[in-house]
Amino acid sequence: MAVSKITEVSQYLTFKLREELFAVDIVKVREVLEFNQVTKVPRTPEFMRGIINLRGDVVPVMDLRLKFGMLKTEKAVNTCIIMVEITSEENSIILGLLADSVQEVLEIEPSKIDAAPNIGMHLNSEYIQGMGKHGNVFIIILDINKIFTAEELASVKGSVD
Amino acid sequence: MNGGLDQAIEAYKEEAQELLSELETSLLELEESPEDIELISRVFRAMHTIKGSGAMFGFDKIAHFTHEVETAFDLVRNGQLSVTKELINLTLLARDQIRAMLEEYGGGARIDESKSAEIIKGFKRIMQKVEGGTEGAESAASAKAGSEADESDEAKSVTYRVRFKPDHDLFMSGTNPVLLLNELRELGQTIVIAQTQDIPILKELEPEKCYTFWDVILTTDKGINAIKDVFVFIEDSSDISIDEIDSGEDVDELGENYKKLGEILVERGDVKTDDLRKVLGKQKKVGEILVESGVVNEDQVRSALAEQKQVKQVRESKQKMEAASASIRVPSEKLDSLVDLVGELVTVQARLSQVSSSRHDANLTSIAEEVERLTWELRDSTMGIRMLPIGSTFSKFKRLVRDLSLELGKDIAMTTEGAETELDKTVIERLNDPLVHIIRNSIDHGIESPEDRVKKGKPKEGTIHLTAQHSGASVLITIRDDGKGLDKEAIVNKAIKNELVAPDAVLSEKEIFALIFEPGFSTAQKLTSVSGRGVGMDVVKRNIDALRGNIDVKSTKDKGTTITLKLPLTLAIIDGLLVKVETEFFVLPLSLVEECVELTKEVIDKAHGRHVANVREEIVPYIRIREFFNITGKSPEIEQIVIVEVEDHRVGFVVDYVIGEHQTVIKSLGKVYRGVEGVSGATILGDGTVALILDVPKLVKAVEIEENQTMVPQLS
Amino acid sequence: MSKTIMTVDDSASVRQMVAFTLKGAGYTVVEAVDGKDALAKLKGAQVNMVITDLNMPNMDGISLIKAIRSDAALKFLPIVMLTTESQDTKKKEGKSAGATGWIVKPFKPDQLLAVVKKVLG
Repeated sequence: MAVSKITEVSQYLTFKLREELFAVDIVKVREVLEFNQVTKVPRTPEFMRGIINLRGDVVPVMDLRLKFGMLKTEKAVNTCIIMVEITSEENSIILGLLADSVQEVLEIEPSKIDAAPNIGMHLNSEYIQGMGKHGNVFIIILDINKIFTAEELASVKGSVD
Repeated sequence: MNGGLDQAIEAYKEEAQELLSELETSLLELEESPEDIELISRVFRAMHTIKGSGAMFGFDKIAHFTHEVETAFDLVRNGQLSVTKELINLTLLARDQIRAMLEEYGGGARIDESKSAEIIKGFKRIMQKVEGGTEGAESAASAKAGSEADESDEAKSVTYRVRFKPDHDLFMSGTNPVLLLNELRELGQTIVIAQTQDIPILKELEPEKCYTFWDVILTTDKGINAIKDVFVFIEDSSDISIDEIDSGEDVDELGENYKKLGEILVERGDVKTDDLRKVLGKQKKVGEILVESGVVNEDQVRSALAEQKQVKQVRESKQKMEAASASIRVPSEKLDSLVDLVGELVTVQARLSQVSSSRHDANLTSIAEEVERLTWELRDSTMGIRMLPIGSTFSKFKRLVRDLSLELGKDIAMTTEGAETELDKTVIERLNDPLVHIIRNSIDHGIESPEDRVKKGKPKEGTIHLTAQHSGASVLITIRDDGKGLDKEAIVNKAIKNELVAPDAVLSEKEIFALIFEPGFSTAQKLTSVSGRGVGMDVVKRNIDALRGNIDVKSTKDKGTTITLKLPLTLAIIDGLLVKVETEFFVLPLSLVEECVELTKEVIDKAHGRHVANVREEIVPYIRIREFFNITGKSPEIEQIVIVEVEDHRVGFVVDYVIGEHQTVIKSLGKVYRGVEGVSGATILGDGTVALILDVPKLVKAVEIEENQTMVPQLS
Repeated sequence: MSKTIMTVDDSASVRQMVAFTLKGAGYTVVEAVDGKDALAKLKGAQVNMVITDLNMPNMDGISLIKAIRSDAALKFLPIVMLTTESQDTKKKEGKSAGATGWIVKPFKPDQLLAVVKKVLG
């Protein structure tokens, strides 16, 4: 089922969260930034790391590791922010995703992409568009539009601590 | 069609729209004081301009239609027709029809021609009542139309020959002829030639007399009357002739060649035709010959040549002269981008100031200070440009009230106050819909029918009072009606039915009134064309929230309802107070800040754990930003309390340090953080980091609610 | 240097209105309550223009204009008279006495300023 979502050869930006490889469709990626200072917005979920100044605009940054139930991302040499554009119905939001390191841009054929298993991933399969293979490494291809759903948009407030 | 004309047409449309809005106000005022000459002339002038310019720009339908209305008000102006309710109604209808016509020209819906005819018929009927029948009116109108044609010609650049031969005693009337010539120069392209032939020989010369006279060749679009106006004070005593020598019109037909020199001199009466014929046989240039033969002097030839030259020039360059104007129209997008740029400049300036203060370089510091001063001035004047009086919006509502109350058979008067109050353009625009909605609600649900009002012992006529006033950095807009007031019970029942509140909920009055702003809430028993248009008061709330404003409702049964909107003056930049907690920076709107005091351990100990401080014998409760926002770390020995005023209460905010005033360019937190409590936006500091702007009233409210939930009741 | 204008009127409200308008436009204003007062004050001050009412006690406007015109030091001084529309004969009288121009009462500030600019440059 999940595999049917991907029918064309696409390019993906791959990045690491801890040692695991993840990928997002390059079409969604605006740019990659160095991770500097982020201003926490109080009383919002912890996985929302806060806001940064992107050339005069204020944009939110999400900690993918926290979102996926891993430990909080700590700033290191290769830590960076992948700026992506999330679209849903009428909305379009620019959002920064924290990654431990950005790897490379890969072309993956649809045939090399499998549906994500519903179990065993320890990760909400909703977020996963498919599982790609590159050589003998698995790549988790994220469905970026699902990562930040409308319900979550609404629930950012309120969920303290 | 060329771009210039298109622009002129656009300008006409805008002008007409403005005149129509003004007209509406004037008419409504006129209804109240039908004898007011100034108002009558204002209505007449508006119609006159709409018609006159309309004809010029090809809006013939409008010109034709408006003509009747103008004629009627001309009669009113001359005292032949009196202002009646019927006339006002008809004129209001006509105004709407003209607006529809304008929209039709702009590609809008087709107008109903039969309606136009009906309105015109109405005017004719009224005018028939005038003594002497419509005949007089018609002829007066056609005379008017004739002069109208002249006026539209006048807008073209016409070249005139002006001979100004003052009385010898001109100086004795304190008149300075040079000033008059300068005044002529202001009218357009001008050549002035002084004629000195009348100056007597020295022995006979009286120095206090004026012997010189002047020929002026003037190309202007202001019309011959403007030239006459220049000489208004001396026209009786001086010899002034004004002749049109080039109509500025059919240049194509005539080509750029103008009259021959001889012709000009003859026309001016400087040379007789016979003399001209005599010299024309010779071979030299006419001017030379005429001077040589003593028929004319050099001044006269010079003057005639100047005339020739100027008319040629005018015809060569068909460009119309730009009329200088005291104000210019600018598309609002340009203003918006100016505001954005100023916002960025303010941010950069903050950075410059920060860098310069760390460098200790006197030169750099003085430059930074200069830039800071200029930036502030630029900010203020930019914001000033965007400020508009709210009056235009108010007058729209007068019409709304008038029409709706007629429709609903209610008798409602609208009074306004503070129309001159200025607000940011964007705020005014976005305020329109919520206000329409609130007023509609008042008319529809608030104010009772005349019979009910009489039964209740109230005056038959209901009142809606709309006021605007400044209050610090905010504007308060109040909509007060003397209707039946909000029915608390009905609201609660409805809310329970719609599952907005639990059936056993205990609600304060404020909470009950707040329910009407919940999505989907509407107490109207039946839908009317007035307020049952599928939008509820929740839209009002959303609009006001988006403007960073808030709504307050007060209502007493059978006495009426007062809704107060509190709005920021401007949306883009505010004066803020920058504070710091641990490593985080926050901005509080300076307009709310009353003072800053120190919070020492000693004070804390005295309060026995309660979050209250004694500030000059007044108990001030405080909120620890550090605690409320869960900021880890240890607070310094001496903390600072920033005391703000929220809804008439003084509340303190405890922070580590107060940094100082900060020009705060407000950035939205975006959709992701929509609805975050206690934060209204963010701003970028001089070093590029982001600071949060505290939403002081919401923060206080949030703390109130939390404390009421978690704390022992005795500490309310 | 700003130019000085004298307003002559027995009505304080008219004087104030004239003075307020002119000051707003950057002129210096001297006030006089009637013709006599005006003449006395003209001796000392450097006045560039006079705006006078016609009906005044002590010395009316026409007499003031005549007095100014016959004073060697003041004879070229621009004088604008305030008239009402019904006073057409007065206007002619003033004109032949040597008034530079007139303003018809009631007038608006910008009309006043237009006349001042016309007369004073």
